[in-house]
Amino acid sequence: MQTMNALTQTQHFLTIIWWMSLGLSIMLYLMLDGADLGAGVFSLFVKDEHDRGAIMSAMAGTWDANETWLIVAGGVLFGTFPFVYGSLFSYLMVPLALALWGIITRAVSLEFRHLAEPRYKRFSDYAFGVSSLTTAFFAGMAVGATLKGFPLTHTPDQVPAYVGGALRFISPFSIWTGIAAVIAVALAGGLFVRARFEPQEDIRKHAATWTNIVFFIALAAAVITTAWSVIIFPWAANRWLGPHFYLWGLGFLVVVYTVIRMRMASNREHDIAAILWLNAALALMGTGMMWTMYPWMVPNTWTIFAGATPQVSIITFTMAMAGFFPVMLAYNWYQIWVFRARVTKLAAYGH
Amino acid sequence: MLENSLSVFLSRIDFAWITSFHILYPPLTVGLATLLFFFEWRWMKTDDEKWYRLTRFFEKLFIINFGAGVATGITMEMAFGILYGPFSQAAGPFFGQVLGYETITAFMYEAGFIGLMIFGWGKISKKMHLFATFNVALSSSFSAMWILVANSWMQTPTGVTLKNGVFQVTDWVSAILNPDVMFGFPHMLVACFELALFFVAGVSAWFVLRKRHIEIFARPLRYALLALVVVAPLQVYLGDGLGQVVAHDQPAALAAMEGHYHTYNKDGSVNTGWHIVAWPNAKGDGNAFAITIPHVLSLLETHTWTGKVPGLDTIKPEDRPPVVVPFYSFRVMVAAGMFMMLVAFWGGWLALRRRLTAARIAQNPLFLRVVVFSAFLPYISVWTGWWTREVARQPWVVYGLMRTAQGVSHMSVPLEVFWLVGYMAFELMVFGGTWYFLAKVIRKGPDLTSPVVQEGHQMLGHIEEPKHHEPAQPEYPRPA
Repeated sequence: MQTMNALTQTQHFLTIIWWMSLGLSIMLYLMLDGADLGAGVFSLFVKDEHDRGAIMSAMAGTWDANETWLIVAGGVLFGTFPFVYGSLFSYLMVPLALALWGIITRAVSLEFRHLAEPRYKRFSDYAFGVSSLTTAFFAGMAVGATLKGFPLTHTPDQVPAYVGGALRFISPFSIWTGIAAVIAVALAGGLFVRARFEPQEDIRKHAATWTNIVFFIALAAAVITTAWSVIIFPWAANRWLGPHFYLWGLGFLVVVYTVIRMRMASNREHDIAAILWLNAALALMGTGMMWTMYPWMVPNTWTIFAGATPQVSIITFTMAMAGFFPVMLAYNWYQIWVFRARVTKLAAYGH
Repeated sequence: MLENSLSVFLSRIDFAWITSFHILYPPLTVGLATLLFFFEWRWMKTDDEKWYRLTRFFEKLFIINFGAGVATGITMEMAFGILYGPFSQAAGPFFGQVLGYETITAFMYEAGFIGLMIFGWGKISKKMHLFATFNVALSSSFSAMWILVANSWMQTPTGVTLKNGVFQVTDWVSAILNPDVMFGFPHMLVACFELALFFVAGVSAWFVLRKRHIEIFARPLRYALLALVVVAPLQVYLGDGLGQVVAHDQPAALAAMEGHYHTYNKDGSVNTGWHIVAWPNAKGDGNAFAITIPHVLSLLETHTWTGKVPGLDTIKPEDRPPVVVPFYSFRVMVAAGMFMMLVAFWGGWLALRRRLTAARIAQNPLFLRVVVFSAFLPYISVWTGWWTREVARQPWVVYGLMRTAQGVSHMSVPLEVFWLVGYMAFELMVFGGTWYFLAKVIRKGPDLTSPVVQEGHQMLGHIEEPKHHEPAQPEYPRPA
């Protein structure tokens, strides 16, 4: 499959740039919408109806912009790595379908809640919480399944396609990554709720307790995931425990440092700082994971170069798209700035 | 790979279902965004509160519709990879990239500004808000453009070679500016405007019929009808142009749309008959019955009295599209388009005679009822138009280059059914929710009591229960 199209130097370079952009989109999605998903999971544990409504209104101005990073990631994957897109999505058909239904249900309950009759509000809230949970779980499961790789056809002069059943994605590891994803967003969601509400609000105190507990669960989950990966993925073990193990060890220490700073900020109620430190830890771990997998995009299945689109296309794509990333980042920032005010549960969704 | 297997058929039905339910929402988003910009701009210029009330009222409807569009749109993006994996891989270098352009240059751009437009009232300056509305309108039109570039390329795939199972782009300019898009995109864009104008006109006419807020709603009704006097005939003209392109580049599709089997009559003369009604026979080589007008087909397609139009008999049997769906959906679309044009002219004539003013508009209930009824017609024509386009392209997914059966993912029938049932449930849920809430907001009518927003004074939302707590004052952020 390496011979699908021979790559030039320029193409190598651009492919790597696009692979990084894809990673950036996914990471931004995790950071931004991960908090929204986590707030949804948290809302399942919130008894007061107005509090649940306030959580939704706290993300009202930004959730759709956050979610579009997922669509951008999909667009970049389809646009620059179509061979991976086509086969990976066939492989992940079921978990993606379930995550997708979660996303749709979430969008519907977020958009329509403030219009619903009181007796449907509870249903809408429940749908919001459960769909946030299922989205995180199945997306996490899809990641775990991707790390395991999948079999491809080898027909001469044809694009390799996925061969295998629809349920191949299920494994103890992928179930675990689903759970781990829920834990991770639960932590992000707790921090988000703390940052978005006035200090005297009860819900904020509730969220503080929540983050204090989930923090330790998340820590344990990260350790389990890393250890499990070392055991079952030779490509990970070879990198982490290979000749450059001291560099990886150094990186590991930096992650530990960010986690400690996050914990300190959280304890001191420096809410924004806590979120930023958490995101820093996520960014470091995400970058580390991409570096671990290089040159594989899907381990033992697709390298980033074999999965990339032919030269002419990728150059055009780069010319057309490269300028847009900074622009999108700029107005994402502007939007967060406009909607930066804290809310109380009484400030409802209406507009 | 069996062309007519149940699995391929289910994939097609599945995709048809997803597309049909997605296409209900974006056209209104595209068209209404532009009208909202116009309303808001008039408000800025004239400082007339009526324009403000209209903007806020139609914005509520816009939001509901937009949410539904996003939910069903994400479904579509993923459905390409899931249901049509081999197609996605093969067409990635062109089709995938164009969708990539769409998500980045249009969708992302739109989503960013839409947050500001909906929730930014009072938080950002009036000018910034108008700018946000403008960008929502512009970016949603970009979306429509890229989507039509991708779809038109599937109809008339120029600028590519199919090599090793991959469409290699050899000429970007001719692939993007493929023959179909030159009329296909304007036809769709104008459809969006026509739909939004009829939507606004229909909602306004409904209020006038009910004698509610006549002073407010007479205005958008009059403006929308006057705009339609230009837009509706323009749409008919563009549709005719697109028909010429289809006749030239996709003869099989055109023949199916017209139920046109025989290029020549039995006596050797050119078959110029246009069928009003037709039903294909069991053998698929002619019509079991048809009501036919001579010369009309040649007039329509070649703009001459006896021009030759190739029939389905020039196409290999295995390459012939199904006839019934394109034939009837095409006729329904054309009939709806013509009817809408007549309604527009009627409205224009009334406007000329100054009978659409707030004082006199309620005196013509028949006309108002027709306008309310016409609000549903653009939806019907968008549906039937899209079905015509997609079904008449069969059995190809990329016309003449890649067959639909080659493009579908290899899925078992139970799995296909799982998808189909799941999608049916979800799309119907979104559909039901959308129409329920649209109807609810319309019945409630515009909010005339809350104060017109002032710059920088609005808090996030209104206060529901002011008794229990002090209202929040989140005007400035607390330092973290």
